[in-house]
Amino acid sequence: MSQITNNLFKKEQSLAYKMLIPTILILLIVAVYPLGQVVYTSFTNRVFAGVEETEFVGLDNYTSLFSLTIKELPEDKYSFEVLPRKPKRYKELTTFSFSGEKYIIGAIHPEFIKSIWNTIIFTFFAVFFETLFGFIIALVVNSKFVGRGVMRAIMSLPWAVITVVSARIWEWILFPSRIGFLNMFLSKFGIGNGQISFLTESGLQLPSLIMVDVWKTTPFMALLILAGLQLIPNELYEAARVDGAGKIKQFFSITFPLLKPSLAVALIFRTLASLRVFGLFQVLVGQQKYSMASYNYYQLIGNRAMGLASAISVIIFIIIFIFAVMYMKTLGVENE
Amino acid sequence: MIKNLDNIIQNILFIAILLIIVVYLVFPFYWAVNSSLKTESQLQMSPTTIIPRNTNDNSIDFSFKNYINIFKNDQFIRGMLNSTIVAISTTILSLLSGSFSAFALGKLRFKGKKITLYTILAMTMFPQVTVLSGLYAVINTLNIDAIPSMILSYMIFTLPFTTWVMTSFFRELPKELMQSAQVDGATPFQTFYMILLPLTAPALVTTGLLAFIQAWNEYLFALTFTSIDPAARTIPVAIALFSGEVTRQIPYGEIMAAAVVVTIPIVLLVFVFQKKIVAGLTAGAIKG
Repeated sequence: MSQITNNLFKKEQSLAYKMLIPTILILLIVAVYPLGQVVYTSFTNRVFAGVEETEFVGLDNYTSLFSLTIKELPEDKYSFEVLPRKPKRYKELTTFSFSGEKYIIGAIHPEFIKSIWNTIIFTFFAVFFETLFGFIIALVVNSKFVGRGVMRAIMSLPWAVITVVSARIWEWILFPSRIGFLNMFLSKFGIGNGQISFLTESGLQLPSLIMVDVWKTTPFMALLILAGLQLIPNELYEAARVDGAGKIKQFFSITFPLLKPSLAVALIFRTLASLRVFGLFQVLVGQQKYSMASYNYYQLIGNRAMGLASAISVIIFIIIFIFAVMYMKTLGVENE
Repeated sequence: MIKNLDNIIQNILFIAILLIIVVYLVFPFYWAVNSSLKTESQLQMSPTTIIPRNTNDNSIDFSFKNYINIFKNDQFIRGMLNSTIVAISTTILSLLSGSFSAFALGKLRFKGKKITLYTILAMTMFPQVTVLSGLYAVINTLNIDAIPSMILSYMIFTLPFTTWVMTSFFRELPKELMQSAQVDGATPFQTFYMILLPLTAPALVTTGLLAFIQAWNEYLFALTFTSIDPAARTIPVAIALFSGEVTRQIPYGEIMAAAVVVTIPIVLLVFVFQKKIVAGLTAGAIKG
């Protein structure tokens, strides 16, 4: 008997392996092998689509990406006068004052460090507002009213717009004169002079990008939260009402705790997607401000620095991998 | 009386919030529609108008010129065609391969299942930009054109996702189905394609739609792989790089018309299949 079950198991197992072959083969070609290639290239000075001789440079790409230096900046000197120029030129990352003295932080690739910072700020605020608005929309749509079906349909509209298309629609809304909607609208209320450059003024770029992303992805958040809300049995609310709990108490003692798992998943899902943001940055602010992904793209395609770009890829990969592990810990893979 | 008044105030507040939400969600798209119906000189009116108005007498004045222009525009027509080919091929390939592996992962016993599941889940979060240069090298080695390159490389995000979601659907099919089929003398593979696969048809529709939308949306790979072959550009690339016949300034009217045209099919799909799509998303994200 055990012989037979053993044979059955072996048959099942061999079928399982056979059925996994196409998927594993494709993923080897498009993910695993390219990733290995990228890790290898990150230790070289290879040039993208070039004929130059490639040399092995060890950790040079990584050290140059993270090289930082702090120098005192006297009043009468320019930043490039105090920052080291050899063996590689350092550029200004930022300046700060400490006990009356001005200091400058220099880096070989300040744009890289800025791109990480931009991506983190972008992710934090975008996910925060998406969750907040998503929550509000989900709660509203979850209550019974006439036209709820229409509302649900409207909800998915921004989600159905291609990211690049939404970027171009917003580019036009944010046009830096009163032929653009937002400038016309704001100047009606006396805000700004009707010439606000949302996408070229450094301080306004990130808020504008966050605004665009929030519009596009709030529906996704709302739909996931709504699905979570609908899993909560109505009897719980009835019981709470019988016990005399008010709407606010019901929210904090039933809705919120029961929604936590769906919310956590939606949060991590969105965080991971935001960390990878590319199209929005590339289309709307191009080479003025980078996200991690758009900087990586610029170094690879624009600058053809394939070795350096590969090192950037590895770093992005590690950052996202950390978040992905958190995601999997939250979800847990079911055991059979 | 007071209670009644309370109710009325509550209702008014609720409707107000509802209206704000609707305006917020719909307005940018409305703005695209509005702008797409304006001529170049109407677009240059300052301050801009909420509906297309005549530049002389301010009467309402629509123009369909932008729509006529984009349908005469080669970049746009090719883009639509390329996107359709790429998205449909990607969807079919990932459904085929994905349902095979999902059956193995959801219904068969084998060694190394857990690690495979973890790897697939991890791959749904793969940052695409990080493999761009390596993928470029693979495509150069295989020496394939831009369109098959996109189809192949899109597998990196559609295949793990499809496999993951389909696995959770397969897992929920009752075990008895398989057992009774086996008692009747069916091999496990026959059980798969004759009994289980038809039962997962709704799941195939859902995951297929999601794969299609992801592929329709993709920009980074398309931008890179079509850089030397502009004729293979997909819609997102075409719209990102859109320039008019006369490149005097950015032709926003035509861009908005293109935006409206490419959004409508997806909006219709999403409207019709919304419940299914949400089910797919939650199966992928929540149930695990």
